[in-house]
Amino acid sequence: MVEENNIWTEDEDTQRDKYMTFTACGENYGISISCVNEIVGLSKIAEVPETASYVRGLINLRGKIIPVIDVRMRFGKEPLEYNDRTCVIVITVNKTVVGLIVDKIAEVCTVEQDQIVPPPTVVNNSGQTRFIYGIVRSEDEVTMLIDPARLISDEDQEALRNLA
Amino acid sequence: MAEAYITESMLDMFLYESGQNLEQLENLGIECDKSGELSEASVNEIFRIMHTLKGSSGIMMYNDITTCAHSLEDVFYYIRESKPKNIPVSDVVALVFDSCEFINGELDKIRDGGQPDGSSEALVKANKEFLERLKKNITDGGEKLPADTRKKAPEKFYIAPAVSSDTNHYHITIKYRSDTEMANVRAYTAAFSLKNAVADMYYIPEDIIADENTAEAILADGFHIYVSDKGSEEDVMRSINQGSGISNIEIERISAEEYLNGKQAGPGAGSGDILLPGEQEEPAAKKPAKKASKRSSKKAAEGDVILAPAEEKPVSVGEMAKKAEEQTAKPAAPASKAPMPTASKQTFISVNVSKMDEIMDLVGELVIAESVVVNNPDITGIGLELPNFQKASAQLRKIIGDLQDVVMGMRMLPLAPTFQKMNRIVFDVSIKLGKDIDLEIIGENTEVDKNIIEHISDPLMHLVRNSIDHGIETREERAKTTKSPRGKITLEARNEGGKVWIIVKDDGGGLNRDKILAKARANGLIGNRNEKELTDKEIYNFITLPGFSTKEQVTEYSGRGVGMDVVVQSIQDVGGSLEIDSTPGFGSTMTIKIPLTLAIMKGIVAKIGSASYVMPTGEINEFVTIEKKDLLVEPEGRESIIIRGECYPVIRLKEFYHLKEGYDDVELGTFIVVEYEGIKAAVFVDDLVSEQEIVVKPIPPYIKKIKGISGCTQLGDGSISLILDVGSILKGLE
Repeated sequence: MVEENNIWTEDEDTQRDKYMTFTACGENYGISISCVNEIVGLSKIAEVPETASYVRGLINLRGKIIPVIDVRMRFGKEPLEYNDRTCVIVITVNKTVVGLIVDKIAEVCTVEQDQIVPPPTVVNNSGQTRFIYGIVRSEDEVTMLIDPARLISDEDQEALRNLA
Repeated sequence: MAEAYITESMLDMFLYESGQNLEQLENLGIECDKSGELSEASVNEIFRIMHTLKGSSGIMMYNDITTCAHSLEDVFYYIRESKPKNIPVSDVVALVFDSCEFINGELDKIRDGGQPDGSSEALVKANKEFLERLKKNITDGGEKLPADTRKKAPEKFYIAPAVSSDTNHYHITIKYRSDTEMANVRAYTAAFSLKNAVADMYYIPEDIIADENTAEAILADGFHIYVSDKGSEEDVMRSINQGSGISNIEIERISAEEYLNGKQAGPGAGSGDILLPGEQEEPAAKKPAKKASKRSSKKAAEGDVILAPAEEKPVSVGEMAKKAEEQTAKPAAPASKAPMPTASKQTFISVNVSKMDEIMDLVGELVIAESVVVNNPDITGIGLELPNFQKASAQLRKIIGDLQDVVMGMRMLPLAPTFQKMNRIVFDVSIKLGKDIDLEIIGENTEVDKNIIEHISDPLMHLVRNSIDHGIETREERAKTTKSPRGKITLEARNEGGKVWIIVKDDGGGLNRDKILAKARANGLIGNRNEKELTDKEIYNFITLPGFSTKEQVTEYSGRGVGMDVVVQSIQDVGGSLEIDSTPGFGSTMTIKIPLTLAIMKGIVAKIGSASYVMPTGEINEFVTIEKKDLLVEPEGRESIIIRGECYPVIRLKEFYHLKEGYDDVELGTFIVVEYEGIKAAVFVDDLVSEQEIVVKPIPPYIKKIKGISGCTQLGDGSISLILDVGSILKGLE
């Protein structure tokens, strides 16, 4: 289950153990900073028909056209109205550039490897667990670490593959 | 007549393409050498490169490159077809590298404006021998060939330029006084001074700098320099730095063959084998050199400069003499008829496409940023008169506009040069095959992305060649039909629905369905499918599979089955497709459809709700607004509209894509009447925005392929619009 080794392959030391945390639907999430390209404000989204609902469409990132996905909707939650605080985290995973729409960016923090505990193995129905590979507990809050590769992979296809 | 076809741009292109091919070839060689095995893919690839080199050098009439490529192609053809076991990979790689080196050397000479006049004979021989060995090895029952028994292929190949009728060859003998010290160094000085002055030269003994013992040989036998240059004896003599210690310099004219013989055999024969002029040899040269009887007026350091008569040629003993006989029996290297245009190396630079894309993106952003600045509410909002600002911003807009044009133009080239090349092929091949063929070229000014042109020229060459060789019938066969005695090949390019179509059409016999089927059956390509189920198109597509050729005889031009699979591969590399159509007795049509991926096109921007879509202008016939009564609804819900008595099916994009926004009332919106390959339909949208030049960008791969959408683009205001592929939308109607 724990796949952080994959994420660390090309890391520089300065990026090691650093996570960008953000909130989506009231929860704290963390994503390894090594895959984060930049954070941009939300610009006009061009909707693309016939795609999964969480794929909100395409945005123009300085002439480059990238798809954006709503993290809330990816987790199966209802979308929020986008506002000024809504941000797009542009990440690169396996050479795919994708924007993640999140409610609010929190901070960049360092998490030691031994602070990370594996998520509960009991599968709940929230749809979150399959994206989470670790949980970090600090004084008064819990941050869930997201595996970006799983976030952007198509679970329907995966499910099919598992069936086969 | 033939020379008229070779233009400077063709030469540039030839050099550029061949250079790229050789580079790839070398990489493949290295790869094979590393892995120690010849994968099927690399065999195919090497074969393809050799085939291409053979073809293009043939067009340029560089015969030695052609024969060299041809012989290596033979080797790989055999490997590909018979899949022999126990191939001595290192030997194969050595052959590949030898050929590579030879062709590269020749290309360098052409680049410098010289003649590619090296002889490929040794290489061809080596390749042939290797092929024989390979074949024997197999018939012997696959006996393993130990690597160390491999015959040493000629390791070195001496490239001898400038063997042409207007080039003179000289043999210079320098003798030094017997007390001269370091004769080798002095000889080197003389040779060095000459090196820069003449087109080509070599000298014997060879390693005068490295080997001090050569000093004695020089003192004993003299120092022999063989020179090839256009200049006269005087010019050559003047160029020699005479230095001290020279007792005597002789110069004599020799023939091209002797020059080459000496060059190939000389270094191997060693200094001791060289005899001095004065010894007689049979005048073997095909073109006996003129008697050079003029005395050089240049004064030597001491003694006379003697111009020996041409009949007295320097000759080496033993093997060298034998080689001379062999070689002189063969025709001389191709003589130049007219000075070749000189190609400068800097004409083409190859830039990574991603960098071009980056520039394009940035320019697009610049346009938007400019409009943001100029139309900034801080300036426009207060109603100020800003004449200077307006002037400056107008200037800025103009520069940015120019920049955009240049960046776009950088990638776009007309197809004309590529098409012109085909003239030459038709001319050449038709003469050799004894067929009378006319070539008609239509739409050569169609502009195509440079990247695509690079990928399209080889496949096109193959298609044209195939048409001539396989398509057009022989004179006799043609006479039996009602067709004109002259065959006709039509080469056409046009923009069709945001794609570029390149059509190669011949009026020959068409594809032979049964023959193709039989061959497909023999090769086991049909599998367990029922042959009767196969459509004509499916059958024609068999010819695009590797190793498929119905032509029994392998000619220089086609018929090895290398063509079509390579054609398809190259076209697919740029995301295009090949359609084959044929009517027995009336010829076949090959249509290359290149997608718009990189092309710029004009499109109509239409709105549905808040989203905008672009449709290629070329596919749009008209825009209409209708009243409710013009809308026909069939019982099953299918709608159509009637315009001027004609009935068009309706496509509501809102329903097609299950959009949330958009009009339902047909009187509010507009119908766009589109046509694609004869199918017409009316597409219902909310509103028309504008017509724009758009740069097509692919949809990010993360988003799965969506029916009817071929790409996306960035509009002038920075927003993104999806490009509709009218063809696939209409196909959904059927």
